[in-house]
Amino acid sequence: MNAERPRIPKAERMAPTDNELMEDVRDGRVEKLAVLFERYQTMLYNFFLRLTGNRAASEDLVQEVFIRILKYRSGYLSESRFNVWLFQIARNAHIDYLRKQKPALPLDEKHAETPGREPLPEAAYEADREAELVRRALDRLPVNKREILVLFRFQNLKLREIAELTGVQVGTVKAQVHRALKDLSRVYLELQRGDLS
Amino acid sequence: MTCEKIQEKYADYLTGDLDEAGRAEVQAHILGCQACREDLENLTVVWAKLGVLPEEQPGGAVRARFYALLEDEKRKAAAAAVPQARSRLADWLTFRRPAFAASFSVLLLLLGLGAGWFLSAGRPGRESYAALSREVQDMRQQVALSLLNDPSASERIQGVGYTAEVKDPSDTTLAALFKAVDADPNPNVRLAAVDALYLFRDRPGVRQNLVRSLSVQSYPLVQVALIDFLVEVREARAVEALKKLIEAGELTPDVKKRAEQGLRQIAL
Repeated sequence: MNAERPRIPKAERMAPTDNELMEDVRDGRVEKLAVLFERYQTMLYNFFLRLTGNRAASEDLVQEVFIRILKYRSGYLSESRFNVWLFQIARNAHIDYLRKQKPALPLDEKHAETPGREPLPEAAYEADREAELVRRALDRLPVNKREILVLFRFQNLKLREIAELTGVQVGTVKAQVHRALKDLSRVYLELQRGDLS
Repeated sequence: MTCEKIQEKYADYLTGDLDEAGRAEVQAHILGCQACREDLENLTVVWAKLGVLPEEQPGGAVRARFYALLEDEKRKAAAAAVPQARSRLADWLTFRRPAFAASFSVLLLLLGLGAGWFLSAGRPGRESYAALSREVQDMRQQVALSLLNDPSASERIQGVGYTAEVKDPSDTTLAALFKAVDADPNPNVRLAAVDALYLFRDRPGVRQNLVRSLSVQSYPLVQVALIDFLVEVREARAVEALKKLIEAGELTPDVKKRAEQGLRQIAL
């Protein structure tokens, strides 16, 4: 017997892939960027929010990413993976943001905690103290470790995609994820015990 | 297998991407290695805890800024294309495109009015400027309404863009935007119309119409844009519409999640 098939909206059945949309944008149909914007704006916003802890800056960075996509669209290759290309742009935008924040320091000397994280909205976080503790622990990691965890845990990038993005071997990414998680676990436990304020 | 080799498998282990053989290797190792067992237990705990961090939604201004950027880019592209597009220019001049014919006629009319003022009464006063400004606003609306009926989606998006430049749009213009949100065949036009209406969110009827639009909207992206809009303005009337939408069970998982989150946010 024919089971009733779930209703799938037409827009979803015929949804073009990210790569097809970006090829269209590259070839002059810039209005297609609107679909990519709708697909990725929240993901990008949360990526930046978890790295900077600053909502206004994160919104500016989302806009900056799309400005750069339009600027560099002619260089998009059909064989590219769109999400890797997108996050490469996002990482660069974040690096430039950090440079503007602390022009005197080279990037690798950026230290642990995000400076000046704005107060969190009470309703969003205060109800969940555990989430707050995790967020504080994440903030205390060096930016490179925080970034790799955010990419791997929240942006759903595969290890090979992170390797492609960061220009290292997959084995190196595995080791980096392991070390970052160990550090996060240690900091989390210290915060929980009250060793850190 | 060495501890180091086992630790390389942790990332895939945590995401569930490790195959059966790999999982068996990890489990066999940690049975005999207390340090690795404790290590993996800690990592599993912290991995799970990361999952409690909520996803936040960007403010509505992000979307408004993006669409302004996109419109700007399209205008630049159109301006750059003009020198090469002689046939299109010929089309314009021979008025084969009704939208541009209409706007050109109004422009000529305005030029005539302006010239009349200068020639007959010298420098126009404040009232004359106000009248001229009104005329320009009216012209924008007429062009917008013409473009919104164009068969090309990019022209219709441009039409929506014109409405966003009108300070106080007429009811007819607002009605055209509502119609675009509900019924335009192209989701990008619908999204642009939702964004344009955000600018007029305090006009009577705008929020109410978008609440109603939620129940007839079929495109998931537009549904999310409508929910974002109504959450942003904390529209209490949206609560009932969102509940019905969730209960109807026809939403995609992402839209359902956004609708549920929206319900909570409106209630805050």
